Amino acid sequence: MAYAIGAACIDVKDKTCMDVCPVECIYEGGRKLYINPVECIDCGLCVSTCPVDAIRPVEEFDDKDAEYATDNATFFSAKLPGRELPLGNPGGVSRIGTIGLDTPLVSEFRAG
Amino acid sequence: MTDVQSHDVDILIVGAGPSGLYAGYYAGFRGLKIAIADMLEMPGGQITALYPEKKIYDVAGFPEVLGRELVDRLVAQVEPFSPIWLLGDRIEGIERKGERWSVRLSGGDCVVSTVVLITGGIGTFEPRALPVGREYEERGLIYYVPRPSELADKKVVIVGGGDSAFDWALALEPIAAEVTLIHRRDSFRAHEHTIELVRNSRAKIITSAEVTAIFGERQLTSVEVTAKSGSVDVIEAEIVVAALGFVAHLGPLAEWGLEMSKRTILVDTAMRTNLPGVFAAGDITEYPGKVRLISVGFGEAAIAVNNAMTVIDPSKNVFPGHSSEMS
Repeated sequence: MAYAIGAACIDVKDKTCMDVCPVECIYEGGRKLYINPVECIDCGLCVSTCPVDAIRPVEEFDDKDAEYATDNATFFSAKLPGRELPLGNPGGVSRIGTIGLDTPLVSEFRAG
Repeated sequence: MTDVQSHDVDILIVGAGPSGLYAGYYAGFRGLKIAIADMLEMPGGQITALYPEKKIYDVAGFPEVLGRELVDRLVAQVEPFSPIWLLGDRIEGIERKGERWSVRLSGGDCVVSTVVLITGGIGTFEPRALPVGREYEERGLIYYVPRPSELADKKVVIVGGGDSAFDWALALEPIAAEVTLIHRRDSFRAHEHTIELVRNSRAKIITSAEVTAIFGERQLTSVEVTAKSGSVDVIEAEIVVAALGFVAHLGPLAEWGLEMSKRTILVDTAMRTNLPGVFAAGDITEYPGKVRLISVGFGEAAIAVNNAMTVIDPSKNVFPGHSSEMS
């Protein structure tokens, strides 16, 4: 299991979740935050801090937004546009800082 | 300071979280001589560090229990067996000496134990660093306020918006020369009541602003505060308390030669690791079907201690008998 961040975070990026994550596994993209599912320890501390209720266990994403459950993993496993290598598991956001890029799903997102 | 000591025990429990404390009870019930070590100054592990005031709903027999209360009850359960508490110390090294283990602690103490039980959870907690000014550590930048009286008459800046930040603001406000609390956002993560008390006190609260630099020749003398709006201010300060929560690190465990998978230790059905006489229990273990819950940690602690019993004394059974039959 792991937690994932849904579409509600797009263009909000409150980042309180990043302040409370004890393993620093929440990373900052251009429009959204992403949880690294390999580094996440399932403590759940981030869930209640999210002002837009964007964070849920991966299993609780339903048909409407199921793609976001896997998209958090994609952010780390796929090559983001303009990068030579996938991010992989950096071992904490303080080691790499803000990424400034997004997955295609997020960068193509239009509010509507 | 106390003198460096050497302790001789049957079982050394590494990690004083719920699994470690319950393992302590079981070791006591089996008549073992116990030492319990933890890097935090207080027992309770993750509960104490991350959510002492949260209600927990999935402990058998407790429809709901406050984190802090569960820890108190676990400590009360192990206390009659007089464990040696080694709190506030990190394990520096572990070495096989014949059929036993010799373990060095950061404070200089040494523990010789037949069995080592690792209940290290998600690792050791270290305070999250302030993004700027780390070079002022020990020159005015601190992470804990164990004795507020030591900061009497000082100009104090507290950074953070959680319970620790507000608890310390409240404790320091009556005695410090000035208290300024600075938080990156405009909402807080602390108890409503505490926030209200701080708001109505002499302490000053600055929101939507960050400490962007620390100044001072030898000791810290001021901090630069940059607001979200872009305006920059310099505030006089002798002490900066960074109350930004904790980050968990696995720490030196990774170098003990344990068979591991990511941040977890692989165990068999008896909670044995690949090292002789070294067991593990709780969130730190991994095996097929593992579920990371306090209740599972309690079960694993009982499995580990009772199987460890046969390592400590081969004439003993794994099965402990029922506690209800003892008196």
